[in-house]
Amino acid sequence: MHIVIANGDSDAAYIIDMFNTKENRLTVINGSEAVAQTLMERKHVAVTIGDPWHNAILEAARVYDADIFISLCKRDTDNFASCLMAKRNFHVKKCICAVSNPANVDLYKKLGIDVVISSTYLLAKSIKNESNAESLIKSLSLDNEKIVMIEATLLPKYWICDQAIKDMGFPKNASIAYVVRNYNFIIPNGDLVLRPMDTLVVACAKENEVEILRFLKRQKSMVEEKPEEPAAEVKEEKKSRRRKKQD
Amino acid sequence: MANKNKTIVIGVGRLGSGIANRAAAKGQDVIVVDPNPKAFYGLDDTFSGFKVNADSTDMFALEEHCDIKTAGQVVIVTGDDNVNLFLAYVCSLVYAVPRTIVRFDDPDKGALVEGLQNVKAIYPFDLTLVKYNEIEQDERK
Repeated sequence: MHIVIANGDSDAAYIIDMFNTKENRLTVINGSEAVAQTLMERKHVAVTIGDPWHNAILEAARVYDADIFISLCKRDTDNFASCLMAKRNFHVKKCICAVSNPANVDLYKKLGIDVVISSTYLLAKSIKNESNAESLIKSLSLDNEKIVMIEATLLPKYWICDQAIKDMGFPKNASIAYVVRNYNFIIPNGDLVLRPMDTLVVACAKENEVEILRFLKRQKSMVEEKPEEPAAEVKEEKKSRRRKKQD
Repeated sequence: MANKNKTIVIGVGRLGSGIANRAAAKGQDVIVVDPNPKAFYGLDDTFSGFKVNADSTDMFALEEHCDIKTAGQVVIVTGDDNVNLFLAYVCSLVYAVPRTIVRFDDPDKGALVEGLQNVKAIYPFDLTLVKYNEIEQDERK
């Protein structure tokens, strides 16, 4: 895999360590002569010195058709320009852009950057995850946040405990990938009855995440208190009353 | 709903202030944006538009202080090509501004806005070269 690491300092060094293997070809570009010198001495990699948002520098570094381009500039707009240049002019397959402003994550994706990473954004998500429902429900976003994997440990108070999957009306837009029970993995079918402290791993689309979490976290008391749907006869009676009024 | 008469000028250097002064004199509703308050000194005393002292890459400033959604034209002339490139994309893809003019010092950046709807790029380098050639031709005559 051809990986380009553009700018950065200690973060670039860390990524170089991670991917500097026989299977990968690394191209390192850095705008700071001092950082470039350090990377060459300590990591024993060739470094092209120059700003990665310039066409001439990317050409000199031969980033054509690279598999991954990681931009680690300090300013978000520099990362945007570098990624765009690599993508449009050098046909890089996937661009990863680091941003310091977490509000830019969704915006940059909208503007065409493949993957946008913000440490603050990830930190906030992680905190949110850890504070979610006594830390028993966690979610992980995959494929650029289009798919979500939810891991939920069932507490006895959850209404889906002691119910067969086929009877609980599990939302159609999600799928239970597997169930962990006493350290054993179970690939579930409709007949499986969920037990307290089972761990469910559910895959769903990002837009359905809230609905699925709400479904999983419903408590027995909430389900029991829910008023029953009016019987069909009552509904029909109301309709006929309305019709009479209109007449 | 875009207001044809509303122009936002981002970056108030010599070019930006010149464009803003001209547009205001023509009777347009002009908003100028620059993070440096001293940049506004370049505007005419009679400049009747609004001055927004903010970072133009901050979407909050563009939406809340400039109401960019209603702009008929945005002129992007900051001194930083990467900021200009980013803002051109934002104007076209996020706010669908009917007309965006963006200045680039590096002509390679121009290729990156090709295909963006309603965005036109200008290059001082090219304009200077054209002017130089004209002068040279005139002198030969």
